[in-house]
Parts: sequence; C-alpha cells; structure tokens
Amino acid sequence: MNLLQRLQQANYNSTAISAGADISYPQLVAQAVQLRQQYPALQHHAIALSYTDLSTFTCDLLAFDGWCRALYLLPDNNLELPEQVIRWPENTSTAPITATATATPIAETTLWYLATSGTTGTPKWIAHSFTSLSRAAKASVQSAALHWALCYQPSRFAGLQVLLQSLLSGAVITDCNSGDAQQRFNLMQQYSVNAVSATPSLWRQLLMTAQINALPLQQITLGGEITDQPLLDTLAALFPTARLLHIYASTEAGVGFAVADKRAGFPASWLNQCHSNLLLKIDAKQHLWLKPPQLPDTRLASAVDSDGYLDSGDLVTIVQDRVVFLGRASGVINVGGNKVHPEQVEQVLLQYPAVRQAKVYAKTSSVIGQLVIADIVVDTGTDSKTLQAQLVQHCQQQLERYQLPARFNIVSSLATNATGKLSRKADVKEPHE
Amino acid sequence: MELEHTIRQTLDQVAIIANCQLIDNINDDTVLLQSGLDSLGFAMLVAQLEEDLGIDPFSQMQIAVYPRTFAEFVGVYRQTLANGN
Repeated sequence: MNLLQRLQQANYNSTAISAGADISYPQLVAQAVQLRQQYPALQHHAIALSYTDLSTFTCDLLAFDGWCRALYLLPDNNLELPEQVIRWPENTSTAPITATATATPIAETTLWYLATSGTTGTPKWIAHSFTSLSRAAKASVQSAALHWALCYQPSRFAGLQVLLQSLLSGAVITDCNSGDAQQRFNLMQQYSVNAVSATPSLWRQLLMTAQINALPLQQITLGGEITDQPLLDTLAALFPTARLLHIYASTEAGVGFAVADKRAGFPASWLNQCHSNLLLKIDAKQHLWLKPPQLPDTRLASAVDSDGYLDSGDLVTIVQDRVVFLGRASGVINVGGNKVHPEQVEQVLLQYPAVRQAKVYAKTSSVIGQLVIADIVVDTGTDSKTLQAQLVQHCQQQLERYQLPARFNIVSSLATNATGKLSRKADVKEPHE
Repeated sequence: MELEHTIRQTLDQVAIIANCQLIDNINDDTVLLQSGLDSLGFAMLVAQLEEDLGIDPFSQMQIAVYPRTFAEFVGVYRQTLANGN
C-alpha cells in the first residue's frame, strides 16, 4: 500500500499540518488526488522534489508515491540527478513530458531516493521503498494525540521519519526547522507542540532558552548524533512523564532502532537477538554491523558480508551491559548533525602556502557533539599569531561554517603509518558511565 | 573579575574563529542565545575555555538549569572552579 492509500484507509479527520493555515487530512488527500488528475503525464516518470513548505511537500509525497517510478528528495545542497529525472514543479511546465499511455492507471511501486553523505564524502542517492521507510512508524491512540515539531529537513532520512510517523499516526506536525533555538522554541510554544525530535545539539540549545519546561512535552526524541547520559538525565528530570527515546539510524541501511530506557547506548543483550527487525553484531575492529530484513538498495550488496550484515561504519564499545557509540570509523566528524570529512578540511589547509602538513580530527564537545581540530606543520620562521589569523580567514572563504576548525595546533611533525599515510586513529574519549 | 575578563577575551577570539557577529555591549543580562554567538560559536567558546581554564562544566552537567544569560554563564564557571573540579 502506498502513502495515499494508507491515509485514505486510516481516514483521519483531524488537522495534519499546522502552519499559518491549518491543513486537515481530508484536505491533504483531496489535494493529492487532484494533483494526480492535473498531471497524468507524470505517471511512471522519475521526479525530484525540492522543499518549499511542509504542506506542499507532504501533498507532493502523497500524490507521487505510488504514481511515479521514482521520487528524489532533493537536499538543500545541490546533488546531481540522473538523466530523465524531472524537477518538480519547475521543469514540468517547460520540459516535454511524454505520457506513458495506459488506459487504466497501474499502481507503481515507487522508489524513494534519499541523499546520504556517503563514506567518501561524495553525496550519493540511496533507494528506499515506502514500506521500509514507514516500518518504524507506529499508530496508537497516544501517538494520534501528539503535535510534532519538525526540526530536521524533511528531505533527509531523519526528517522524513518524523513526518511519516506524524502522518501515519494521525498526529499534527508543524515545521520548526528554521531560525535559531529561540525562534524554534517560539514556534513550538505558539503551536502548543508536545512532541519534539531533534539532535542532542539542538536539545542543549533548547535547554538554554530556559523556557523549554513551558512545553507540555509527551514525546522527546533524540537522534542524528551520539546521545550522552547527562543530556538524557537532564531531559528526564525536566519531563518525568514524557516518553524519552534516542534513535540510532543508518541512512545507508535504511534502518534504525529506538532506545527507550533513558540510558545512553543500547543494551548489549540486543546483540544476541533480533531487535526491531534488525540483527546486530560487532566485529574485531569494533564496527557495528546491521542486518536489515532486506537491503534498501541492491547496489549495497557488495558491502554485505556472507551472513547478510552491512558495516554501519560506526565504532562502538561494550561498557558493562551497554553498547556505546564512539564515533565514525572513517574519522568523519559530526558537528551538531553536520558531517565533516577531515580530508576535505585538510585539503583546504594545505592550499595555504606556509602549511606543510595538516591533520584534521574530532574533539568531543559537550555542546555540539564534536568539533573540528587541526594539527598543522608549518614552515620554520612562520609567525604563529599572524598565521592563525590568516588561516582563519582562508578557511572561512573555503569552508562551510560547521567545517571550520575550532583550533589550530602548530606541531613539529605528524605521525604517519607504515604506508606513509597520515595516522588517522579515531580520537575518541572513553565514555563515562 | 579576572574570570569574567578571561571569558570575555575568549568570547572575542572565538567570535572571530567561528565567524559570528557579536552584539555590542554584552553585559550580565545579555541572553546568550541573543549575543550573536550561535551553537557552533558557543561550542567553540566552551572548548577554548576548557583549554584556558582546564574545566568544562558542561561535560558532566546534570543540572536542569542551563545558563541563559552571560552572568549565569560566568557563574557556572565560577561555581565549578570553586568546587575544585
């Protein structure tokens, strides 16, 4: 069953999206049906959606899932699209679209393409099915009473999960994914939000408003970064009756699981049994491997071991009865949910004439998860103070803000491994339990 | 006053590194979220103060009240130093 059919069957009568003007479930469904009738030629084509507002985006998803061959959800950074993908809505008025003539519309199993940052830093499209994307969404009387704040881009895996959870459970959702923490909080308060899913970094910022306890929160979800115990404790103390979940998700594997016991990491006992339709194991290099019920994308087949497990690329360790996350094995740095590839920052630093060698790595941050640190070897006789100032400027011209090193350490040499490459051992602190 | 001076100095340095435009005349009552320092800048400030002062009050913080104003922020550091952490 596709998204539209699911909502038609559920037959919710309440508000679906609360924004300037509210939009109800029947209105959403009616608009989606109308959109299909208006653009019959789009059937069986591949189209790309960019995000403008939540009502339009949701209506497009309803209309085109089960109608088009493929849906590409464009992230805010530009990612190349395969040929023959029609950009909706801008290209539909100019590009000639050939209707694939069918007298009776044939139901289409739509592939949903989501962008991942990829292990090499080159973003890539990963195909998912609506079935796999909606697997985690649960409907219940309690979940229908929720009013969600959307704090992620809905075109990304985490944001889409929140949107689908809200829609499939008949809840209300408001887009709170813009502005600083105070502005987001104001929106949450204005719309009487009682369910928030956000990164640990955003939660810390929301706590700094010192007003967050004014929200009648029933559902608190953390994801996109490693969740630490002090933050869980703070939120649990502020909202003792709220359901408090932290989510682990792998966009590549198209799966995830939720931890509900208010403790960081997940129970080590899950390693020996199937949990949330997932099998989990840890290899000798401390990588977490996942075995989903089915692989979302056949191109991942080569990355799967003989038992059907996929390497998540996440480093974990067992502390007593918990499996705790240490960071990415590739050294990818997670700055408040934004992935930073050390090599990319190193390349920028090496462009600067006085810099001979550069090594970029993560430092654990109690505020934003991780920060970028750069160790650099510079020409002898370089004035360090002037260099720092110039490097800051150089980096600001070449990098996104979250990629900026928080500190430049001038060192005399950098360790290399046996193959002459920079030694990139993950710089991770043992977590405190 | 010395602690506040250190924090102010670090704040100015970090604003440059993080590319944040601080508001003029940050005083005790300035709300941190409205100081011009965003989450990245704030994270860099806490990291740099850890270098300068040897403490990170936020790393094991289990308090329900996060500092909201500049004075409260300085207070958290003063208290952590006084506790000998």
